[in-house]
Amino acid sequence: MFDILSLLDITFFLLAALGALVGIIFGAIPGMTATMAVAVCLPLTYALGLNHGLALLLGLYVGGISGGMVPAVLLNIPGTPSSITTTFDGYPMAQKGEGERALRVSVVASVVGGLISAAILFLFAPLLAEFSIKFSYVEKFLIILLALTVIASMSRNMLVGIFSGVLGIWLSLIGTYSISDGGNGKTRLMFDFLEPYLFEGFSLLPVLIGIFGIATILLEAEEGVKSGLAGKNITFGKGGGFSFTIFKGRLTNLVRSSFIGTFVGMLPGVGGSAASVLAYTQEKNLSRDSSEMGKGAPQGLMASESANNALTGGALIPLLSLGIPGDSTTAVLIGAFTLQGIQVGPLFIPENADTWYVMMTALVFANIVMFFLMFYAIKHIAKVVLVPKYILYPIIVMMCVVGAYAINYGIMFDVWTLLIFGVLGYLIQKVGLEVAPLIIGFILGGQAEVYFVKSLESAGSYAIFFTKSPIAVVLWLLIAASVAFSVMMGLKSRARRRLETSS
Amino acid sequence: MESGLSSLLSVSIDFETSHLFFPYIVHWLMGGLFALILVLNVVPFLAAVRRGERTLPILGESMDKFRFFGTLVLIVAYFYLMSVVGNLFPYTGYGFLFVSMVFVFLMSLMYMHTRTRRKVITAAINALVAPSLAWFILAKLFQITLP
Amino acid sequence: MSMPSIYKTLGTSVLMAGMAFGSAAAMAADGPLRGNVRVVIGSTSTGGDTYQNSSIVADALAEHLDINMKVDAVGASSAFRFLDRDPRGNTLMIFHDQSYLGYLYGVEGYEDIFEKYTIGPTVAINPGNAYLVPKDSPYQTLNDVIEAVGNGEEVRVAIQPGGVSEIGFSALKNAIAIEHPGMEDNLVAVNTGSQADKNQQLFDDQADLINGTVQANEQYTRLPEDDQKAMRFLWLTARQDTIEQAPEEGLGQTSREQLLEYVEPNVNVTMGDDNFTFDKEFFFLYNKDMDQAIVDQIDQALSEIYAEGEIQETQKNSFFIPNFKPSDEAVEYLETKMSVYEDIIANIQ
Repeated sequence: MFDILSLLDITFFLLAALGALVGIIFGAIPGMTATMAVAVCLPLTYALGLNHGLALLLGLYVGGISGGMVPAVLLNIPGTPSSITTTFDGYPMAQKGEGERALRVSVVASVVGGLISAAILFLFAPLLAEFSIKFSYVEKFLIILLALTVIASMSRNMLVGIFSGVLGIWLSLIGTYSISDGGNGKTRLMFDFLEPYLFEGFSLLPVLIGIFGIATILLEAEEGVKSGLAGKNITFGKGGGFSFTIFKGRLTNLVRSSFIGTFVGMLPGVGGSAASVLAYTQEKNLSRDSSEMGKGAPQGLMASESANNALTGGALIPLLSLGIPGDSTTAVLIGAFTLQGIQVGPLFIPENADTWYVMMTALVFANIVMFFLMFYAIKHIAKVVLVPKYILYPIIVMMCVVGAYAINYGIMFDVWTLLIFGVLGYLIQKVGLEVAPLIIGFILGGQAEVYFVKSLESAGSYAIFFTKSPIAVVLWLLIAASVAFSVMMGLKSRARRRLETSS
Repeated sequence: MESGLSSLLSVSIDFETSHLFFPYIVHWLMGGLFALILVLNVVPFLAAVRRGERTLPILGESMDKFRFFGTLVLIVAYFYLMSVVGNLFPYTGYGFLFVSMVFVFLMSLMYMHTRTRRKVITAAINALVAPSLAWFILAKLFQITLP
Repeated sequence: MSMPSIYKTLGTSVLMAGMAFGSAAAMAADGPLRGNVRVVIGSTSTGGDTYQNSSIVADALAEHLDINMKVDAVGASSAFRFLDRDPRGNTLMIFHDQSYLGYLYGVEGYEDIFEKYTIGPTVAINPGNAYLVPKDSPYQTLNDVIEAVGNGEEVRVAIQPGGVSEIGFSALKNAIAIEHPGMEDNLVAVNTGSQADKNQQLFDDQADLINGTVQANEQYTRLPEDDQKAMRFLWLTARQDTIEQAPEEGLGQTSREQLLEYVEPNVNVTMGDDNFTFDKEFFFLYNKDMDQAIVDQIDQALSEIYAEGEIQETQKNSFFIPNFKPSDEAVEYLETKMSVYEDIIANIQ
């Protein structure tokens, strides 16, 4: 143990803290992601050496994931794809003037999620890796399907919501059936002349910030950009109305969401955004008072933020115990190891015990730094909404451009995607379709296809989805419960509306 | 019966055309849902429009045409000119830097309802500082490729 | 780097802010290649071998020529498009054999690179392309697999279709067609994606043999046999003299000597007269209309860099085999290489 302590010097902690800070800033800028933060700082790790490099990168990772909550809550733009569900309750709260309170709830949920997942990583990594390889294409498809069921329960009108979700899936299929997923690399759903642009389809991040950011600005422009300020009657002062009592009775939610986040993060390929969506679905289904979710309920924030921060520990599980990245950020993190000539694989932890403890220290420390940085900076961050719109909006557009352009390392079509989906987002809301289900469909559509088609390709029968394994059966039960629940909720709210209109 | 069920469920996917398999299913789903919506939601809605109870979206609404279309035109010009100017100075990020300055300033002016001197000067300073800062930190410090 | 020097770097950068506006475009370079140069690569991953190798080369070039070079992982189809549009020499591309294998396999988005682009110098080889079986597999050697398929047994191979991952599979199929005519269809491709997916196929018992790499799979080969995840190398497609240049300690706990057991001629995959080998080679691609002076300048610069000998050490540390060939040699070499694989793919169709 003492060897390890000697590796942890002041520089180590300073770098982890610096990483968390820079990460938060990256995450907080709409369009900039944790992945990007890690990618741009990767070359620095050459000079820093392995331990110091990892401290910086893990700090960036934790900070980047957490920072995404800021624009999600204040501007209704998910700063990173995994903070999509944070917008559902965060923005309504911000509109009610509770932006600061929403952010504080999110920060606390984030640190809880981060620490729980770090603990799980530390205690059970090899064991869980063993479990994660029990998930083949079939089980992964069912997980995606389970996450998709949230569409039914979160839409205002179930039929329209489901249609929007399917439309989102359709949009995600444009482009090639990618070879890197094992597809045949052929394009579909487009005209030949679009192929140079749409070969790889629409990228997720530009779509997200287009449909949220640019569309919001278009809707505002239509109204004439009326009030000078973006937020109304904000509660400032003592904690913005936040107190820890808000977490009373929410412990189950926090723990459950953190577990879901860790678990989804652990499954290679299923990806970050599914984690928060799944946690949000489960809170919606299981909690007794979920009817306010989507209209500004702190419990939605808790589910979303604890799950997306729990991703960090989760995604590191397969990385460190199988050599397989759990999400896009850890995929970049692999580069840091290979740069230093260190292999990651099933023997990484036993063979590099020092590095392993160093990483755990950095992860936990970064989470704590993130908490203090954000919890006390929120008061100032929340004032973003006080900036007059005529100053704020041009800057948002500009930063969206930077983010969209940079996400795939410099592709101009991604910038045009912003506009295309900005206009689409505007039209969708005008004709009464629902944006949130559409985006969830878009995020999960591509994976749904690969897992679905690949399952059938190898099994040759639809029966495989039911007979594959006990895990599949359990997932079906969860799906059935989720669907039944949302139908029940739908009927109840319809009955209530009838009652209101008749009385 | 048993064999009937299993043959019903069996499916064979040709790898060469497997890129169309899932879209095919999604098309049917989408078509079916659309038909349902047409019958259950759109037809009643149009009837309500005809009776004058509701108005059509977009067409029937009042809007600030100047700011709405101004925003669209500005954004299109911004995106387009950025790559044109950027192409003159390959991979320096100047396209982003200079065109952003103009764009941010014009958009600020357009969204202002009363143009006092103080507001215009604030907007001008913002238009100079914000893109420079973004350009410097990202393109110079972090070496991210910008247009 | 210690903390103070980071501050120093940051401080210098801030100081340079004022000057940066004027200076960036007109860097002090004398050759035809000047200003900011972007190296696009055919992979979208910044953790993969293409990126790692390209940044080693780009860093060395940038320093040697005193220009700015930046590697961007834009992916194959975008990279080709960027290259198409820029004859000025501000955009260069680095990619590997996938660039023509994709064309040979008829993958959308790939064209004949020898016709459409100027081929630049080769810089390195990744010798790691490998085929593995579960540790408890009945197949002890690749020859067992060939014999089994020849006897009508079905063997499923997990690969990523349409390129580097498939070429070994195609060669194997071709060898079976030569040795056991008519039986080659018993070797079945399981088309899948990433390395994780390929491993998973093995764990799920959906594949008997998988394509992998020494780098990603070496640790799996050291797991105890009763572990579901344990694997065993059967074949490395690299040439013998490629592996012989690897560091003696090999990779992880597997020494060079052990690795040599899995390459030709210890493992034979016949193509009729010769045995099949495949080295994954990285090389430059240029726009067809780019100034010949730039081609020469890069050739020149790289020969100087390789003469110094430092870059070889960096490459070997990352398990790459240095393999510099100036562009005219490289074109000829790669064209021959392509024609060999073209025959294989044509044979098994």
